[in-house]
Amino acid sequence: MITEQMRAIAKDLLEKGEVGTVIGWEKGTFWYNSTPLFISKPEQVDKLVFDEFCANNLAKYLLDFKLAETKTAVFVKGCDARAVNRLLQDNQVSRDKVYLIGIPCPGMKEAPKTAQPQDIAGLPLLTKCKMCATPNPVLFDVMVGDPVPDKKVADRFAAVEALEGKSADEKYAYWGKMFEKCIRCYACRNVCPACNCRECCFDANGLNWLGKQNNLPETQMFSMTRAMHVAGRCIECGECERVCPMGLPIMEINRKVIKDLNELFGPYDAGMNLDDRPPLGTYKLDDPEKFM
Amino acid sequence: MSINTEALPKQPEVTAPAATAIPDVTPKEWIPRIVGFACNWCTYAGADLAGLSRLHYPPTVRLIRVPCSGRTNPQFIIRAFQRGADGVLVAGCHPGDCHYSTGNYFTRRRFLLMQRLLEYMGMDPRRFQARWISGSEGPKFQQVVTQMSEDIKALGPNRKMRDAE
Repeated sequence: MITEQMRAIAKDLLEKGEVGTVIGWEKGTFWYNSTPLFISKPEQVDKLVFDEFCANNLAKYLLDFKLAETKTAVFVKGCDARAVNRLLQDNQVSRDKVYLIGIPCPGMKEAPKTAQPQDIAGLPLLTKCKMCATPNPVLFDVMVGDPVPDKKVADRFAAVEALEGKSADEKYAYWGKMFEKCIRCYACRNVCPACNCRECCFDANGLNWLGKQNNLPETQMFSMTRAMHVAGRCIECGECERVCPMGLPIMEINRKVIKDLNELFGPYDAGMNLDDRPPLGTYKLDDPEKFM
Repeated sequence: MSINTEALPKQPEVTAPAATAIPDVTPKEWIPRIVGFACNWCTYAGADLAGLSRLHYPPTVRLIRVPCSGRTNPQFIIRAFQRGADGVLVAGCHPGDCHYSTGNYFTRRRFLLMQRLLEYMGMDPRRFQARWISGSEGPKFQQVVTQMSEDIKALGPNRKMRDAE
């Protein structure tokens, strides 16, 4: 089983002292959650699990270990591996300080929050996993288990296209309804592997052109700013949408940006290849010229 | 408690100034407010030339000088709309003429995206424009501002993304 192999690899790494910390998942308080786990001793490896609820993207925790003297091992699913590529490309972590253990991901499940465990096989996939096109890690040092077949995903831009077809006032009303719910908890930013600035502009003091109130114009500004900041760098892991306590369709904004970038500057999938520059970090002399 | 006004010293009576002293400058019709981010090296000089050449254009644009059009943060644009701008213009050097060699190539990519994002959020894309205006193009500055003012006048005041009515 994958869990046993994970434990064996983690034990081996920790006993040999190749890594200082292993980041994985452990069983949470309830049957439907598996939470991040940080271990540094071989006898702790029995806590490690991999099941249908390991939705957390662990890559961002690497930022907490970037100054560690030892290597850090992290378990990566398909989306997490792209997130590691994101951090490497942003020069946030260095490749020789991380040890990646790839896990081909069958897709994580969305569970009803009931006290009694339910039949796991019958549960639906998470929204982010339904849209996932890269279940296999693109970057790893060692792989656990066999690669899963590439999935045929439903058109990921369908929701964006449906919204684009509406009138300006309808779109504004749709987003207004969404942003009114936003509580500015910054969960989307905190979980996002592309939001890896040491100091976020929304935390900065003294920028009086950047409001911190929780009202409609400011939440609009927050969402649009975040969309522009991760533009061309979003790896489509869908974590922002998963962690949003108000259930806002954040990926509908990010996918719109990705769709536009693909249309304007050629197809680009962030986090797939370390050598490709993000589209807003580069330019071509013959870019589309709409402004004259 | 009441104040005995009889006991207070008499104040000189204030009289309104003569009606003819100040001409009535309140506009008869609504005029748009456009925030223009002008690159220091090209567009600001272009606007200067338009002024020096005594070219007439509507007094709708408030220019903010930026070192390069690439300095214009997308947040500046959202903030301008929040604080009551009816339109935003970003103007810089023509591609290839950037004082910093490549700044405006990044501007071009960023704001093509930004305009589409604003449209997706329900803004009219005509309210946000980017233009290339060089230091010798005073007449082009005049024409761009005139055109944009007319467009936005037709659209009416912006009520979207506003901080307050």
